[in-house]
Amino acid sequence: MNPILAAAAEPTVSLSTQTRVIAALIAIGFMVFILDLIRRGRLQERYSVIWFLAGLALLAGAAFPGLLEVLASALGVRDTNVALFTLLILFLLALAVNFSVIISGQAKQITRLAQENAIAKADREFPGGSGKSGGESGDDGAAE
Amino acid sequence: MFIPAFDEEESITAVIEGVRENIPGATVLVVDDGSDDGTARTARGAGAIVAPLPVNQGLGAALQTGYLFGLKHGFERFAHLDGDGQHPPAEVVRLLAEVEADRADLVIGSRYRDPDLAEAEDYRPSRARRIGTDLFRYALSFATRQRFTDTTSGMRAGNRRAMELFGEYYSPDFAEVESLQRAVRAGLRVEEVPVRMLPREQGESFLSPVKSAFFIFKSLIVILVGMFRPRHPNGAGGDR
Repeated sequence: MNPILAAAAEPTVSLSTQTRVIAALIAIGFMVFILDLIRRGRLQERYSVIWFLAGLALLAGAAFPGLLEVLASALGVRDTNVALFTLLILFLLALAVNFSVIISGQAKQITRLAQENAIAKADREFPGGSGKSGGESGDDGAAE
Repeated sequence: MFIPAFDEEESITAVIEGVRENIPGATVLVVDDGSDDGTARTARGAGAIVAPLPVNQGLGAALQTGYLFGLKHGFERFAHLDGDGQHPPAEVVRLLAEVEADRADLVIGSRYRDPDLAEAEDYRPSRARRIGTDLFRYALSFATRQRFTDTTSGMRAGNRRAMELFGEYYSPDFAEVESLQRAVRAGLRVEEVPVRMLPREQGESFLSPVKSAFFIFKSLIVILVGMFRPRHPNGAGGDR
């Protein structure tokens, strides 16, 4: 019998014990790394949750390889690899968009800070908005 | 009167002096957008107030700084022009006159409104620029149902309503086009006045071909999105 057909007919995810142990170690190592980043103040807690969950998912996959099959059948996909990569790509896509949103928010905050700073400095050269400064009273002035 | 400036050390003094000459009594604010050269120092030397943004934030953010400054100090009218010497301050006077006469809330100095003036000898846009300009013109005219000829002009004047609208929100990038759309949607009276503009005295235009394409693309998206934004029936910050 054609081995490829045989493999397709038998859709179980079979990982050797060795593979599962390595995957579990990677998952645990990853989570420790995340925790260490938080401990050293390199990563804020609010951004760590998602990565910690990803580590847990990795660990779950190592512990229960059957989970992937459940996911694949839920998606209606015959090949578990396709299911895995689809989910991963969607996850990364969502994450990337999420970061863009976060960056946009921070850019806005930085701009506002820069503006406040610039205006504060300009205020020092422009006394109070009421008094005259060097004989100018403002064409756009408060006189109107 | 405020002047957004980024690395315009060479031209800023002439611009400030031109403003002083043509609009005596104006408070001149130069918003220095994180320049690396001596723009801020030179501008102070020429007698302007300088609002120095610590890092380069883009033209929109620089303009918004001017609006916020104007609002904070209770100015009734504003005008701004580019710091590179392309905009003759004498022309700004006509813009301000429209605002003063309360014929418009926001006045744009248009290079193209009056063909006799624009096509003469002063301002000759490149072909690529022309295409982009036309594109904006049609897109904006379509989106606002008002005729615009010079959507990217940086020479503008306006009253407090315009300041409130733009102080509240102004896209930090090159947002000339979008700001017009928002002004119209907010119910502001927007008007164009034909002006003469000069070729750049110093410095490079920020638009390289790739950047231009990106800018055009982005602006078109912004216009599209803007068409679905809710209108502010009362204008900017309420009905003051």
